Amino acid sequence: MSLFEVGRLAMKIAGRDAGRKCVVVETIDNNFVTIDGDVRRKKVNIKHLEPLTETIDIKDKASHDEVKKAFEKLGLPVWDKKSKKPTERPKQIRKKNKSKVEEKPAKKEKKAEKKKAAEPVKEKAEPSIEKAVETETKKE
Amino acid sequence: MPRGMHKSNTLRKVFVRTPGSKTTIHYRKRKPSKTICGNCKTQLAGVPRERPYKVANMPKTAKRPERPYGGVLCSACTRKLLQQKARSEK
Repeated sequence: MSLFEVGRLAMKIAGRDAGRKCVVVETIDNNFVTIDGDVRRKKVNIKHLEPLTETIDIKDKASHDEVKKAFEKLGLPVWDKKSKKPTERPKQIRKKNKSKVEEKPAKKEKKAEKKKAAEPVKEKAEPSIEKAVETETKKE
Repeated sequence: MPRGMHKSNTLRKVFVRTPGSKTTIHYRKRKPSKTICGNCKTQLAGVPRERPYKVANMPKTAKRPERPYGGVLCSACTRKLLQQKARSEK
């Protein structure tokens, strides 16, 4: 009859989760139990635990969600696994290309401006011809 | 004869065997003192004993144990402290 029954609150004393609170979820044998709560869910030696006075009503082999609900009622924090999403690397843009891209449109714009400057002259000339043709046809 | 500055023991000596099979003495700076537990003064495990420029280039996880009071208290003292903390809670 050990202190570490299912539902016993405890504090982890050793390891990287030391100082955090947890619940005994399953007793494996005299020395080992499974814990969950504000720690990574894992099998631990009871030498690494210090029992607290409180106990919670949870099922034997309770899932992480059940433990989470019970802990949120008590107002205790819960350890959640962080999802492993690889962060996107910022794409490197070559400086040479960038300068070319910047230069090209500038040239095109100049050409376009030149064309625009050239076109209106044609436009002015063409209607005069058309008008002349029209006038000629009318005369005929 | 060694230089005057090399006669004192401020620098540690490293004996290097050269290709011409002569041993020469190289002088290096000494390592800092070993880190000790703040409570029981025993040597701490898992804390590198290197010059600051080497320690600065190490990852954070290589510099101290990843547990509360890691790199300050030894594991036994941390356990005792946390045990007291747990027992004093209502």
